Amino acid sequence: MEFDPARAVPAPAEEAAALDAALDGEGLPPPSPRRRLRAARVLAGSLAALVLVAVGFDTADLIGRAFALSPWLGGVLSGLGALAVGSLGLLAGREARAYFRLQQVDALRTRALSLRAAGGHGGAAPLMRRVAGLYAGRGDMAAAGRALTASVTDAHDDRELLDLTEATLLAPLDRAAYRLVLKASRDVALGTTLSPSALLDTALVLWRTMRLLREVAGLYAARPGLLGSARLLRRMVTNMGIAGLAESGDSLVAEALGAGVVGAVSSRLAQGLVNGLLVARIGLTAMHLCRPLPFAEDRRPRLTDIRKALLALPKERR
Amino acid sequence: MSRGLIGDLGDAGQRAADGLAQMANRLAGTTLRLGVTGLRRSGKTVFITSVLNNLLLAGRLPLLEAVSGGRLRAARLEPQPDPAVPRFDYEGHLAQLMAPHPGWPQATRAVSEIRIALRFTPRAWLRRQLTSTATLTLDIVDYPGEWLLDLPMLGQDYAAWSRTMLDLAAGPGRAPLSRAFLEDVDTLDPAGPADESTARRLADRYTAYLRDCRASRVGLSLLQPGRFLEPGELEGAPVLTFAPLPPRAAAGPGSLQALMAQRFEAYKDKVVRRFYREHFARLDRQVVLVDVLSALNAGAPGLADLERALAATLESFRHGSGGWLGWLGGASIDRVLFAATKADHVAAAQHAHLAALLESFLAGPIGAIRFSGAELRTLALASVKATDTVLADWQGQPLPSVQGIPLGRDRPVVVFPGEVPASHHEIGADAAGRFNFTDFRPPPGLGRDGRGLPNIRLDKALEFLVGDRLA
Repeated sequence: MEFDPARAVPAPAEEAAALDAALDGEGLPPPSPRRRLRAARVLAGSLAALVLVAVGFDTADLIGRAFALSPWLGGVLSGLGALAVGSLGLLAGREARAYFRLQQVDALRTRALSLRAAGGHGGAAPLMRRVAGLYAGRGDMAAAGRALTASVTDAHDDRELLDLTEATLLAPLDRAAYRLVLKASRDVALGTTLSPSALLDTALVLWRTMRLLREVAGLYAARPGLLGSARLLRRMVTNMGIAGLAESGDSLVAEALGAGVVGAVSSRLAQGLVNGLLVARIGLTAMHLCRPLPFAEDRRPRLTDIRKALLALPKERR
Repeated sequence: MSRGLIGDLGDAGQRAADGLAQMANRLAGTTLRLGVTGLRRSGKTVFITSVLNNLLLAGRLPLLEAVSGGRLRAARLEPQPDPAVPRFDYEGHLAQLMAPHPGWPQATRAVSEIRIALRFTPRAWLRRQLTSTATLTLDIVDYPGEWLLDLPMLGQDYAAWSRTMLDLAAGPGRAPLSRAFLEDVDTLDPAGPADESTARRLADRYTAYLRDCRASRVGLSLLQPGRFLEPGELEGAPVLTFAPLPPRAAAGPGSLQALMAQRFEAYKDKVVRRFYREHFARLDRQVVLVDVLSALNAGAPGLADLERALAATLESFRHGSGGWLGWLGGASIDRVLFAATKADHVAAAQHAHLAALLESFLAGPIGAIRFSGAELRTLALASVKATDTVLADWQGQPLPSVQGIPLGRDRPVVVFPGEVPASHHEIGADAAGRFNFTDFRPPPGLGRDGRGLPNIRLDKALEFLVGDRLA
């Protein structure tokens, strides 16, 4: 069968698909808005509005009655009410700022990823300034910021600029974050090994994980706030599987095997180690999610290293 | 072959011993020999000066992992191991670059060498437990790229070599320069009796032709034999007194052709093989600097010539393929960097194209080299950054241009250097006059801040060449 060449059109380019492929995995793109729970959201929102209005009415009623009783009491009560509203507003503003900042970090990471994939020139300089701007007010980062400014020239291309930013600005943060994760993981491993009850174990793991999250997020970008923490936690749960922390299959096997061998020695110790590894895994995911740039291949923190450090724990004498 | 079996055996033994010593050094990881080469005016001297200066001061190599990781403690120059090889005049060249009226240093005339010791903290945990600091001794060997171009002669006999050279001389771009020599050759009978004065006259004419080629504006670079241009201590010796002749089957012993063939073999043996054995075969890493921009300026003949020269250079790096290099034996170069120098002469956004263009020249042979196990990379770099990239306003459009002081002038100017094509296939026969890259001179006040000479991608080059040994 033959066709007239004049009537054939070029096949559609597949570049867009290739770029998308490059974007998933390590990049952790922001999750698409979820549609399934819309009804539930409407329910929650309307209930919250109802409660808010009811509380407002009640408060207004209360203040009115207090004024009827004595203007002094009314004044004090209305002052308290104003204070409550004011502090709530302040709190909400702070939360919103923290939330916005986390979102900004996400956007930075996505932009860095597409810049790295494109490998052009001139696009990374504004990105680098924004990343540096995240840490502008911090005294401990001033030296790294100066070093970055000094080492950048107009000749660096996008990939080199990203590499430089990682090596100069983020490397000390990476080291500090890794130490935080390792410390939390040790705490949990030791704590669960020593704790007498399973309930206490769970409480310890939960409390230490939340603390670690706030520590890591605070180190990289800003204190995430309550709302931000919740969002971070949710995104972490969805991303733990997807990101996979780039651990190869064999290290997972080794992990399981390592725990198994130790388990034969002491089930209590094994439980501690598993809990410790769980916290470490959550901590490393938090590092990926809070970092303003995606990890370069060779800079990624490895769960294997943490496992080794944990296995060395029983041998340590102090 | 002028040498007997015994000579060959002794030679092979010597090479094997050298190879073993090199292997041992490589395993111990304490010394590394880095060869720096490139054709004339490709920037070898400036490259080495800048590398040494930057390693000593370690202030402008942010992408060298040992520096950014804070593991490089210090570096210092040390006496070199080979007493018979001249030392690279680092201090003199640096003074020239940092003078109140700076200029580019003089060109390489022969082999020179310098040793720098780098003290660093090992990255590997195990090694750190054994020693808190380690030392890498880096020997940098500088030699003219023309000598490297002689290596393919080893695989040819006199007749084949003569034919190639005469064809090349009659080709476009070279014909006007070789007229005197070719006319002389035409009047001669190669089968006639050998005569020293005729041989000398021919060699002189041939040398003059090679000199003209090198001095020509089109920058012809594939010039064999290289020692005719840079004779060094061999000036006037019989090994440099021959020239290509049209091969005649009838030429018997005692003829002019026989004499020439004999001297050709002597040249291969005493000059080419000796250089290979004493310098090239002992290298671990190699940088080949290429002045792509000058070749572009020269148009189509210059580019074709560059392609031929690069192919001939690459021939030298084909290891373990069972060719004549296998015969030469020994440990081999495992990393080769091809660098397009003077990247600062074009706007920064063009660097990617510059590297791609260089890679397109090497496209064929690169696969063979990578197959044989050596790593190969191309980079666009500037050993000394003499310009800044600025945006000029052209009819309301921002145009990426370079700002610097052109050679022979005193005030900085802003020049739009044109765009570098990403592949040499995009350059048609109309290339003449399409490119006109300006030469710049070093700006005054270079490296006054004590952080090392400003450069472009020297750190990436070093990371590739020595970074793995600083781990």
